[in-house]
Amino acid sequence: MSGLSGNARAERRVRLAAAMADEGIDILVVAGNPWRCDYLRFAADVTPVEGHAFAFIDREGPARIITEHPAEARRLRSEQAELDVRWSLSAIEETETAIRELGKRRIALAPRAAVPYRLAMGPLAASIAPATALLDRLMLRKSPSEIEAFRRAAVLADEGYAVFRDAARVGRPEYALVAEVEAFFRSRGCPENFQILGSGGREVRGMHPPTERRLAPGDLVTTELTPCVDGYYAQICRTLVLGEPSNTQERAFAVYNEALEAGIAAVRPGAKARDVARAQNEVFRDHGLGAYVTSEYTRVRGHGLGLYVDGQPAVLEDVDLNLEPDMTLVVHPNTYHPEVGYFVHGDSVRVIPDGCEVLTRTPRRLFSVPLG
Amino acid sequence: MRRGLISWSRDEVPPSVLEGRVARLQEQMRAAELGVVLIYTSFARPSAVAWLTHFVPYWNEALLVVFPTGAPVLLAAFSKRVHDWIRSVSHLGEVRSAPDLGRAAAAFLKERPPEPWRIGVLELDALPWPVAEPIMKSEYGGAVVDATGLFASIRQPADEVEIRLARRAATIAVQAFKAIPTAAKSASELLSVLERSARLDGAEEVLPRLAPDLRADATLRRLEGDALLGERYAVELSVAYKATWVRITRCVSTQAVPPSWHGAADRFVETVERLNEANLSLEPQVGSGKTLAWTLETCRGSPPLSIVATGETPSPSALPGGSLACVSLQLDLDDGPWLGGEPLILGSGRQPSRLLI
Repeated sequence: MSGLSGNARAERRVRLAAAMADEGIDILVVAGNPWRCDYLRFAADVTPVEGHAFAFIDREGPARIITEHPAEARRLRSEQAELDVRWSLSAIEETETAIRELGKRRIALAPRAAVPYRLAMGPLAASIAPATALLDRLMLRKSPSEIEAFRRAAVLADEGYAVFRDAARVGRPEYALVAEVEAFFRSRGCPENFQILGSGGREVRGMHPPTERRLAPGDLVTTELTPCVDGYYAQICRTLVLGEPSNTQERAFAVYNEALEAGIAAVRPGAKARDVARAQNEVFRDHGLGAYVTSEYTRVRGHGLGLYVDGQPAVLEDVDLNLEPDMTLVVHPNTYHPEVGYFVHGDSVRVIPDGCEVLTRTPRRLFSVPLG
Repeated sequence: MRRGLISWSRDEVPPSVLEGRVARLQEQMRAAELGVVLIYTSFARPSAVAWLTHFVPYWNEALLVVFPTGAPVLLAAFSKRVHDWIRSVSHLGEVRSAPDLGRAAAAFLKERPPEPWRIGVLELDALPWPVAEPIMKSEYGGAVVDATGLFASIRQPADEVEIRLARRAATIAVQAFKAIPTAAKSASELLSVLERSARLDGAEEVLPRLAPDLRADATLRRLEGDALLGERYAVELSVAYKATWVRITRCVSTQAVPPSWHGAADRFVETVERLNEANLSLEPQVGSGKTLAWTLETCRGSPPLSIVATGETPSPSALPGGSLACVSLQLDLDDGPWLGGEPLILGSGRQPSRLLI
C-alpha cells in the first residue's frame, strides 16, 4: 500500500491532467514492469511486482489498469479502490484491444523504455516519444510532497549506511552486509533499495551485487545505498576501511572529497549537468588522475533521482540538460584509483533557487572500522 | 533490482548442464530452421537467459544471442567494467558491450549473418520498443519470428540441477517462516525478520507479500510503510536462489492454530496430489470450505513464474509431467480465509504430483 497521501496522488494527477490538456491528449496509456515502474508510479501510483502493467489515464476520469496476474489485480484494487483493474494472461494483447476500442479519442503512449514491441508497432507508434517527454518534464522537477518523500529517503539512506558500517566486520561475507541493511530498511517500512558494493584492494574495479567474498583486514569496502520512500529513491555512496586507513588511502579520499565538494558547488539553477561533471573531473585532472574519469574506469559523475534509481540527468561532460529548482540528484565522483582500487563518495542533493541543498547527513569521511 | 547473493557454483550448476540446455535449444532451432535466437533479459524478465547461462542482471538489460552452434554471446548494456563480474557468474562464449542494445543487435547480426535467414525472438510482443525498433527497422526485420513456443517446448520438465536449486530456495523460505517471532506486532517487524533470514541464507531475491489481518482482508499486499498484524495473517514469500524461483504461502495465527487450518492443509496436499499433466485444474475439490482462488505457475520463458492455470480462466495451457511448478490456493473456511502455496513437481501418467519439500 502506498504511503503517499490521497492528496499527493491527486496532486500528481492534476499536474498530469494539465500537461495532457496542453498537449491535447485525452488518454495516456502508461506501460510499466518491475524494472521500469517509475512512469506508472507517477501516473497512477501503481508499482508492479510481477509482469507487465498498463494504466489508461483519462484526463477527466479514474484510471484503468490491466495487469498480467490475478494476484496483482487483487492487490492493486485493494491499494486503490477507485481503480478499475482487470487482468489478462495476454495483458499486452488486451491493452492493444482496449486502445483500439478508444476509437478516435486522442491517445498517447509512454514510456519508450517500457512500451512493448506489439504496442509500439500499432497505431500509436508515432506518439510514443512525445508522451515520454511530457512525463519526463513532469518528473524532473519535484513537487513539495515529492521533495518530502525524497528527503525522508535521504534520512533513511544515512541510517542505512550506519547499519552497513556496523555490519562490516572482518570475516563476514559481502551478502551478510546486504542482509543486515535490507532487514533494517524493512523494519522502517521501506520495500525497495538498490544496493551494490565492492570489497578488496587495487584489484577492485567497480561495484556489483554481493558475493560470498569475506571481508579482510585492510579492505576498502564501497557501497551505494538507495532506499525508496513512497516510491522516491535517495542515494548515499561511501567508502570505509577495515582497520586503520593507510596514508595512500587517506590521500585518495582527499581527492574524491575535493571532487564531491566541487561537484556540489556547481549544482545551481542555470548550470548544466555537464558543469557538475566537469567540476568533479577537473579535480581528478589536477591531481594527475584524468585517465580515471573516462568510461574505461567510471560510468557517470552522478545522476537524477526520483521514482527511478538512475534517472535524468546523467551527470556527464556531454549532457546539456539545465538544472532547475527542485530537481533531485546524487553527485558522486565514483571511479577507480590506481593506488587503492575502486572508491565511491556521493551525496543526494536538491537544486534550490540559490544553489543546492545537501540532504545527505553522513559525514564525508573515510570511515574506519576497527579490527577484532 | 536484485540485492542478494549472486554467484555461480560450478558444483551446484555444472557448465555441462548449461551447455546441455543450450544444445537442446539449438537442436530445436535447427529443426525450426532458425539461424539465431535473441533472448532479452532484465531485472523483470531474467529467467530464460539465467536458465541457459546462469547470468542474472542485477539491473540494466542484456540480449543473449544464440546461434545454431557454438556458445551464446551476451550483448550487455552494462558498463564494460562489469564484464569481469558477468563472466564470473555466468557461462558465456563472449560478452560484448552494447549500451544501445537494439542497435548493437542489428550490428551484430550484420557481422554474423544468421544462416538460415530466420531470426527467432523470445516473447517478441513483449520486447521493449527501444530494443526492438533498430532490429525491426534493419534489413533483418522481415526475418524476425516469435520463438516463445519453441523455447517453452524445451524449458520444462525441470532437470535435477534445477530441482535442487528450487529445493534450496524453498528451504530458505521455510527457514524464514520459522524465524517469525511469535510476538510480532507489526508488518515491518515481520518483514524485517523474513528478509534478514532469507538473505543470510543466501537468497538472491525475496519478494514478500502480506495479508496483515486475515479476518479483515485476505489480499496479499506489497507493503510500503507499516501495518498492524492481526491475530491471523498470511505471508507469501517468493524466493530466488541462483536464479530459480519458488513461491510459498503460509497462514500464521498468534493463538493456537485453528483446527480448520489443519483440515485446509490436508485438503491442499490432496489437491496437489491430484494434479498431473493430464489434470491441471484444482477443481472440483472435496472437503469443507469454498475455493476462492487458485493458480498453478511455472517458469517457461523469461518471467520467473507464469500462470499455467487458474480458477479465473477456463482453459489451462499444457505442462509436461516432471515440471517444476508452484500452486497457490485460497479457501473460504467457516472461520475465515486460509491461504496456502507450495512448489511441486508435476506428476505424469499415474504418478501424482509431489511437493518439493
